[in-house]
Amino acid sequence: MADQHAVAAAATHGGGGGHATVKTYINVAIVLAIITAVEVASLYIPGIPGPVLVISLLAMSAVKFFLVVGFFMHLRYDHPIMRALFVGPLIIAIAIILAVMALFSAFVLLPRVVL
Amino acid sequence: MADHAAVHAIHDPNIGNTGLDNRKVGMWAFLGSDCMFFGSLIGTYLAYKGKSISGPLPHEVFDIPLTSYSAALLLASSLTMVLALAALQQNRLKPATGWLFATAMLGLHFVLNQVYEFTTFVLHHNLTLSTSLFGSSFFVLTGFHGAHVTGGVIWLLILVMLAMRGKLDARDYTKVEIAGLYWHFVDIVWIAIFTIIYLIP
Repeated sequence: MADQHAVAAAATHGGGGGHATVKTYINVAIVLAIITAVEVASLYIPGIPGPVLVISLLAMSAVKFFLVVGFFMHLRYDHPIMRALFVGPLIIAIAIILAVMALFSAFVLLPRVVL
Repeated sequence: MADHAAVHAIHDPNIGNTGLDNRKVGMWAFLGSDCMFFGSLIGTYLAYKGKSISGPLPHEVFDIPLTSYSAALLLASSLTMVLALAALQQNRLKPATGWLFATAMLGLHFVLNQVYEFTTFVLHHNLTLSTSLFGSSFFVLTGFHGAHVTGGVIWLLILVMLAMRGKLDARDYTKVEIAGLYWHFVDIVWIAIFTIIYLIP
């Protein structure tokens, strides 16, 4: 009975498709750990140009972000409505960050030579 | 078995007209709004960046090894959270309880690290909420994130207590999944904060 409930719960928990396997979760965690190590190590490597460092850090952060959202939060398997509920406000949040920075002339994120 | 699942869905009051669990839809809507909340705090931090006229500067106070360790704790807790969910899905209650407890303890460790960091900033660097633009924007942003983590730890410990009393099983999968969504959200917010606030020079 409990097994039936487990299957039923898994089948109906939100209308999404299947989930990743435990092996996938562990592989994603390993990738996340490696990226984090590279991020921190890049701070201690001399000679990396500022713009390259900033852009690569942001890119690595974005990869980590979407790995967690896609696999651990199951969004890549979930219903499109769930995706829209999260991705829509996420885009607005990014727009807020850029708008506030523009309002305060604060594009110090990138070195001035780039802008 | 598929019929059983279909019947379960029909009689479950939490399933709305869309066929989706209302609690899960509500959690995703909340997380979307929380994205905008943290977006405004991160935007404010970046707007104020480099504009403090007094007080210690970020590179003078940040302890990158400690913060990296905290980031690793939250990433590890995201793994233990999905392992708890996977165990519960298979109705393996003892491992599920253990993974939930591990997630709570990793989160608690993160919070304690943050308390240590804040204490160091205040006592050793004289950096407070009112010292400078950096102080106010930093403490408000990371403080709200810490409050989210603390709330998540309390939520997880309640689930652990329910599981230990036999009041949580595979039928409560969605309850744990929703807690997991919240937990992973605090992790992804930290992924952004860690890079934007701490790592980018």
